[in-house]
Amino acid sequence: MTQHDQSTAATPSGQPLGIKHQPSPTAARIDELKTQHNRPAFIGYLPFGFPDTATSVDAVRTLVENGCDIVEIGLPYSDPVMDGPVIQRASQIAIENGERIANVFQAVEAVAAAGGVPLIMSYWNLIFHYGVDAFARDFANAGGAGLITPDLIPDEAGEWIEVSDRYGLDRVFMVSPDSTDKRLGIVSRNARGFVYAASRMGVTGERDAIDVGPQTLVRRTREAGADHVCVGIGVSNAEQAQLVGSYADGVIVGSALVHTLLDGNGNAKADRGAALADLAKTTASIAEGVRTARQ
Amino acid sequence: MKNARAEELSDDPGEGGALSVLDDLVAGALEDQQAREQQTSLAQLQEMAAAAPAPLDAKRWLRDAGSVPVIAEIKRASPSKGHLADIPDPAALAREYERGGASAISVLTEGRRFLGSLDDLDAVRAAVSIPVLRKDFIVTDYQIWEARAHGADLVLLIVAALDDAQLKHLLDLTHELGMTALVETHTREEIDRAIAAGAQVIGINARNLKNLYVDINVYADLADNLPDEVIKVAESGVFGPTELKNYARAGADAVLVGEGVATAHDHVLAVHRLIKAGEQVKSSEQTPLGTHEGPYFGEFGGRFVPEALITAIDELEQVYDEAKKDPEFQAELKRLNEQYVGRRSPLTEAPRFAQRIAERTGIEPRVSLKREDLNHTGAHKINNALGQALLVKRMGKTRVIAETGAGQHGVATATVCAMMGLKCRIYMGQIDARRQALNVARMRMLGAEVVEVTAGDRILKDAINEALRDWVTNVKDTHYLLGTVAGPHPFPSMVRDFQKIIGEEAKEQLQEWYGIDHPDAVVACVGGGSNAIGVMNAFLDDERVNLYGYEAGGDGPESGRHAIRFAPGTGELGMFQGTKSYVLVNDEGQTLDTYSISAGLDYASVGPEHSWLKDIGRVNYSWATDEEAMNAFKDLSETEGIIPAIESSHAIAGAYKAAADLKAKGYEHPVMIVNISGRGDKDMNTAAKWFGYLTDEQEAALEGNGTPGSHTA
Repeated sequence: MTQHDQSTAATPSGQPLGIKHQPSPTAARIDELKTQHNRPAFIGYLPFGFPDTATSVDAVRTLVENGCDIVEIGLPYSDPVMDGPVIQRASQIAIENGERIANVFQAVEAVAAAGGVPLIMSYWNLIFHYGVDAFARDFANAGGAGLITPDLIPDEAGEWIEVSDRYGLDRVFMVSPDSTDKRLGIVSRNARGFVYAASRMGVTGERDAIDVGPQTLVRRTREAGADHVCVGIGVSNAEQAQLVGSYADGVIVGSALVHTLLDGNGNAKADRGAALADLAKTTASIAEGVRTARQ
Repeated sequence: MKNARAEELSDDPGEGGALSVLDDLVAGALEDQQAREQQTSLAQLQEMAAAAPAPLDAKRWLRDAGSVPVIAEIKRASPSKGHLADIPDPAALAREYERGGASAISVLTEGRRFLGSLDDLDAVRAAVSIPVLRKDFIVTDYQIWEARAHGADLVLLIVAALDDAQLKHLLDLTHELGMTALVETHTREEIDRAIAAGAQVIGINARNLKNLYVDINVYADLADNLPDEVIKVAESGVFGPTELKNYARAGADAVLVGEGVATAHDHVLAVHRLIKAGEQVKSSEQTPLGTHEGPYFGEFGGRFVPEALITAIDELEQVYDEAKKDPEFQAELKRLNEQYVGRRSPLTEAPRFAQRIAERTGIEPRVSLKREDLNHTGAHKINNALGQALLVKRMGKTRVIAETGAGQHGVATATVCAMMGLKCRIYMGQIDARRQALNVARMRMLGAEVVEVTAGDRILKDAINEALRDWVTNVKDTHYLLGTVAGPHPFPSMVRDFQKIIGEEAKEQLQEWYGIDHPDAVVACVGGGSNAIGVMNAFLDDERVNLYGYEAGGDGPESGRHAIRFAPGTGELGMFQGTKSYVLVNDEGQTLDTYSISAGLDYASVGPEHSWLKDIGRVNYSWATDEEAMNAFKDLSETEGIIPAIESSHAIAGAYKAAADLKAKGYEHPVMIVNISGRGDKDMNTAAKWFGYLTDEQEAALEGNGTPGSHTA
């Protein structure tokens, strides 16, 4: 059912919410890092509920404590077409272990409490099924900043744009090296927070090398009107983060972080403490790369 | 009148009585008007009105077959919401609205609570060339003349503030001065009064008073039976695309938007988004049904895919649009259909099978079978594979990928790729690949690479996911040859176009071979839905033809083991693999496992056009269980010497159900066409086991190259 009780999304006088004219929390953080620390933002991704709910909440907190500025909390989905094997596997484990969407707000609160900016990355059917307005309400109440929507393009996002305006949430849409200037313009005009530039054509996953493609895409996206452009997909280590961070407003790392929680057989590491320690180490290492990107 | 609410202008949230608030506002407006009259006499106003630019006929701006006109409002404040926006330069704002695509500008001239003025009206009038509405609490002739003198084309009249005689008088004066009145109503009673007074444009407020959100049911109650010539303007509660779409689907001609555009960060974009949303709704409702083009079928369809695929999808759409109009492309497709596929496929009369229906249902139908099973590769799938492969050539791409459930679409794709010299890779769930080992060999024989997908549930939907991932990665040289009428636009329309030849031929053959003008019923099975759309398309706009689609019932809807998307309590509205349609999900929105003896119908979602045809009631959808389908498989084999695919057997089982329905509708000798989408050779192992035709030893020998199921429908 998508027809949840909408009456909660109203002002005390009984009128529906208007546009919440709150500046973008994500963009504010990116600007602050740029002006005060001369560095890009470090954006880390982890799927919620992986390997289990409690550990995933600890894990996102670990990210922030080890230098992550913005946390992209993934909602595991049964059919993740933009994700490579590592994130597919982690999502599957989370779902098998009973991950529930209603609990994701615990992770959102944990990120916010630790001083990070919480974003949620979700395939659109999950949000649609929860109810776009209800999700935005619960997410905003938990201190959430915005959504990254890998399979929702601005052209189909009418309801989300309206609801995100009402709750003052950020809308992060993606672009890819293949995107035409016209598409870059459409995405840039409708995005709020930042535009997510995919470093290459393809799905999420680690790579040995990153070519010059993303730098061109960042430039083109800025020319198309985007204020903030962050680069993700394939950024796997400190050196790559440093390179990407030299020209992007933010560096997005996913699979390399998720990887630290998986063992060699594609199962969640049995020793949760050791897994979190590995996560902390990798996060800190990449954070150092990001910190020195413009020096 | 007790319950009358002057929501938009008086903006009363419910407590304290709307009437008193409205009374106060009217009294204030009247007082202000009298003060102005001290400065400018009615005679002076009348001179000004004579000199003012001629009024525009706003009615022409407020109704449009292809969009939902937007009246954008200059609104600084309202009693219930207080301050909204400063708007230091109303002319600039009006120009932004106009640039965004607004059809008219509404200017609040009430000064006390809404902080508007006639100066605002003057500024806006001078700035735009579209109609301008004066919105105020108008109860006197003077105010009407004043509106005209300041260049307004429209005025607002609030029924709740006027008695019948006043309303009629002011309306007549408005019309005499060449202006249009937007007559604001809140109840059915007020609407009736407005119509009686001669209103041509009526403002309707369809907010649900419990939560103040737009409620289509409230609108439907209010606007029921309004004369067609009356323009219906949704006047309250429109904030963004969501409310606009709700109103538009409920039948509103135009909308008035205040806060949603006045307080937006980007006013041009805010109006533009509303215009786009209206165009979406209008385009999705266009008739005739048979030539309907995507991206939207009602609220279904669209392009719910990663941005990375948009460039390729845009290119595909453009190339296909050109090809459609290119006689050479059409001639080549026709030639290959005849010389390679073997079209036309016959329309075979089935009198002995018809007799079984007669015995079972008590009516005597005349049944014909559309023989897609006789096509090259044994199913309808080749119609689409061939068409898309020609487009691949046209686009200059060199590599084709496709998904397949149990083989038939994979085989058809591998076949056309071999014929045209294209590189081909087929994704197949590991479970399907194991039980369809012979089809895997068949595809490899044709030169295709077959990739077994081990992710997810290892069935059809996982093969599609993997094909989408491949496409996202290799989109530059690769075409995804999707096998059914699902996925992102333009696939549902394009695959429909390549499959509609089935119904076109059937219609022609029925006339030519049997001398029958039209069938009374057309019956097909529905997985993704391509064979069903294919056979039904030619009949969609012929109301005399009853259409029946049968989903895979598995062990029945209550068992939870099925692939029924349309029965109550099964599928829900959602986005899946690129399109918005009905989809089987759990209470978290995760895709459910499906089950059917027919792998080709075993899919969690269904093409968006089918969802639309279901919602508008054009096609009757039901299901056939495994058992019903297998019995039908046997019936047709025994009576007609035609062994159908298990997919098609769902249509045959459905023919009994359709006949029962036709009987209930009063038919005695209905003419029925049943689409045999594919042949059953591939299903013999399943059937042999099902009916116990084999010894244990023979069965064990078959295990090696086993097989339930078949092609994706």
